[in-house]
Amino acid sequence: MATDDLTLVKRVRSGDQRAFKLLVERYQRKVYAVALGMLKDKEEAMDVSQEAFVKVYKYLDHFKGDASFYTWLYRITSNICIDVLRKRRGGGEPVEFDETQDVDLSEARIGALGSRLGTNPQKSALRKELAEKIQEALATVPEKHRAILLLREIEGMSYEDLARTLDIPKGTVMSRLFHARAKVQKILGDYLELDEAKSGVGNE
Amino acid sequence: MERHLAACRDCTGRAADLRAESGLLRVGLDMAVDDVDFKDFAQKVMARVTPEKPPLIERMRLALSEMFLYQRTAMISSLATAAVVLLVALPLVLRDNAPEGYAAERMTVKSIQSYQGARVAPVVMETEGGGSIIWMVDEQEQAPEPAKDAAGQKKPGVTNPDESSTEPQDEEGQPSPAPSVPPRPTGGAL
Repeated sequence: MATDDLTLVKRVRSGDQRAFKLLVERYQRKVYAVALGMLKDKEEAMDVSQEAFVKVYKYLDHFKGDASFYTWLYRITSNICIDVLRKRRGGGEPVEFDETQDVDLSEARIGALGSRLGTNPQKSALRKELAEKIQEALATVPEKHRAILLLREIEGMSYEDLARTLDIPKGTVMSRLFHARAKVQKILGDYLELDEAKSGVGNE
Repeated sequence: MERHLAACRDCTGRAADLRAESGLLRVGLDMAVDDVDFKDFAQKVMARVTPEKPPLIERMRLALSEMFLYQRTAMISSLATAAVVLLVALPLVLRDNAPEGYAAERMTVKSIQSYQGARVAPVVMETEGGGSIIWMVDEQEQAPEPAKDAAGQKKPGVTNPDESSTEPQDEEGQPSPAPSVPPRPTGGAL
């Protein structure tokens, strides 16, 4: 049976390097996936993933253990990603997403994505072009919303965990998640509509 | 909620969209992550978190404790195998050291002892292989030699009852010195 995260953290604190390696191996893929989803650059995502683990090791004494290890790890990862995105923009303030703005969820579009992709998204996502479109859609979502969407979808975090990880109220989590999803759905829906019109591919 | 979803077309559509989008995101990112080789990732992180080497004793202590912690089964089976090998090999090695007799290929001198007052004559036999067998032969007790002065002359009055008949004499009737023939081994208990 795999050793749980908190036991490994305790071992790392007592100087067991191998325990930290186990933690790295356990979360490396997911941390990288979050970083890649946030940054859209493989090299940067790899650097950020490594940096996140180095910071975790460095500040392990700050980890209280009242929340799960991975929420703390993802918080560090998403914060580093946000810093990188800020630097990329030249240190300017992030473009905040206006959460009061109405999202286009007209009646005609409801269920469009679901009906076009059917029940097997894996089969559709195998198309490289669609995978690229997903990355593109994510890129249009503001970084804070993107972080929530990625943590929710990749790690399957609950609203409570997301609120703890990102240190924001649960209501904000729900609001940002709703807007992020709406935006991604719209882009993917547009793409699939266009795609369908062109070749009819995308239907099951 | 299930009842509502079954009745509400809007909510059913939105739930389908949600599932499709969620699945797409997961699979899309999984595909992107699958392209990456994580073979050296942990090594690189570990190299960054441990830039300086701890002392040798500390490293050995950690390595041992980690081995017992993470590879306990392998360690225990290795130690058990080593113990069995030692148990089998040790008697063989020790037996090889002991001499097996004169005809054996290898003989080892374990110790040489000399007995005070004993008169022994060594017989050295060289083998074809270059080895030597040293045979100590007990010498029969010989009668004490007559006392001689510093010049080798016999002291007057000191006689040996056998001397007159056994000692050769030269032409002038003077007794010639005894030939320096080594005492002949006469054998003894082996």
